Amino acid sequence: MIDVQHLTKRYGRVTAVDDVSFRVEKGEILGFLGPNGAGKTTTMRVLTGYMPPTEGRALVAGHDILEAPLEAKRRTGYLPETPPLYPEMTVRDYLMFVATINGLASAERRRRVETAMERTRVADMASRHCGKLSKGYRQRVGLAQAILHNPDVLILDEPTAGLDPKQIHETRDLIKSLGGDHTVILSTHILPEVAQTCSRVVIINKGRVVAIDTPENLTARLRGAETMFVQVDSAGADATPVIAAVPGVTGVTIAARRDEQASYEVASERGHDIRRQLAAAIVTQGWGLLELRPLRMSLEEIFLQLTTEENAGGAEVPRA
Amino acid sequence: MRNVLAIARRELRSSFASPVAYVAVGLFALVFGYFFYATLVFFAERSLQATQFGMGGPMNVNQMMIRPLMLNVSVIVLFFLPMLTMRAFAEEKRSGTFELLLTRPLTDWQIVTGKFLGAMAMYSLMLLVSLVSILLLFLLGNPEWRQVATSYLGLLLMGGCFVALGLFFSSLTRSQLVAGVLTFSALLLLWVINWTADSAGPVMRAVVQALSITDHFDDFSRGVVDTRHLVYYLSFIGFGLFLTARAIDSERWKG
Repeated sequence: MIDVQHLTKRYGRVTAVDDVSFRVEKGEILGFLGPNGAGKTTTMRVLTGYMPPTEGRALVAGHDILEAPLEAKRRTGYLPETPPLYPEMTVRDYLMFVATINGLASAERRRRVETAMERTRVADMASRHCGKLSKGYRQRVGLAQAILHNPDVLILDEPTAGLDPKQIHETRDLIKSLGGDHTVILSTHILPEVAQTCSRVVIINKGRVVAIDTPENLTARLRGAETMFVQVDSAGADATPVIAAVPGVTGVTIAARRDEQASYEVASERGHDIRRQLAAAIVTQGWGLLELRPLRMSLEEIFLQLTTEENAGGAEVPRA
Repeated sequence: MRNVLAIARRELRSSFASPVAYVAVGLFALVFGYFFYATLVFFAERSLQATQFGMGGPMNVNQMMIRPLMLNVSVIVLFFLPMLTMRAFAEEKRSGTFELLLTRPLTDWQIVTGKFLGAMAMYSLMLLVSLVSILLLFLLGNPEWRQVATSYLGLLLMGGCFVALGLFFSSLTRSQLVAGVLTFSALLLLWVINWTADSAGPVMRAVVQALSITDHFDDFSRGVVDTRHLVYYLSFIGFGLFLTARAIDSERWKG
């Protein structure tokens, strides 16, 4: 549905996007992840035809954004970083206007506007002026504007920015329900959002793609080794040698110590489940096993690792 | 065409949702009314003198009332029109709605002509209100309607040039103020450029007179529609809109 090939965008001497390539299939929800200034917005702006790429090309819904911009734009819905609202227009008038310039026939416009307002839950504000709306409503009117003409491709630049938790939840559900029929690209720097809504993630840093994968694979791939979190009541004794003696364990560090108890982080070889032996070893010492759970590297850590280190994806487990 | 009209309509409605429309129409009516009154009083005095002392032959309301009034109005319009166009693109760029227009299936030309028609509709409304005073003349006297018609055609065309130029300057910046000042200065220059005509050499004089926007209006106010002036105004409008469209496109590439 979306095919980006060697896309480069320079502003003068500054390279905002550097040789970015990726594909998004129909019905996928692709998360665009990266720190501020990584080139997310620029990439989206190129895809929506707001600005042309310096090099490379982008196909949206089968149309080259430079050669057939009108065709591509007709099949795209776009929510920019700041919702593009006219403050002096009412929500309904505004949506009617957008419906018209999207080329919807007049018979269809009213129905589509009502549907979009229903879906984004802004119907109760239909006759309010856009300039008088709260941040959350603005964002949702912006979203209504993007889905109005039922586009094949939706490009959403931080769709949940400025919403309260309930609205964030509703918006995510809406986006998830849009996937399937629509192809969605959304950018965010809220990591759980990606894990919850996206089927694939593109992590971008300094204009370059550093990783493309599903959230699960990304988590798994970067977890070079398994780590366990163990809390032991050892009556003050150091449990490190006992734990280190368990087969498969490659490293033990003390995470915290309080009174008689201590917690350890235990690294082991990948694909080697050490939980049973570890539990047995501790219990046979007569100590209390208070907690034993695998430590997963969160997307957050993966993100930090990928965007701060040069050689991302190494085998070692980064510890904060 | 539907897109063009949608943009023009939105533009017009926006003007009425903000004070711009009321200020423009209201103040224009006021200033026009004042000039109308002043010319009328002057004309009345002259005709009184003429009947008392019998000098100057028959008084002509067309040449001595309508024409000077229209020449004055052409300058008033010059002061008013930057106000109508300065928002056009500058405000859209500032508020981010420009991103909406550029990412919807619209061509640059549709955006530019939509904006142009929107501003022209507003301007026509201003002129329409001023016609009320002219109607009074018809009630009281017997002016030549054709001359009034050509004058208004001239005003419309000349205003079109102002609007085209104003749109161009508005497309260059995100600040309404800068757009307004640039437009106003440019129009002012194009108005006063013919003041040097008398002292200039024969070649320069022709060039300077050809450039002056208001000079081309003179014949219209006399009741003459000369194709030279039509061509000047229409090509000025066309060129202005062309530059605006190019400015929008270049904005894209600059990013």
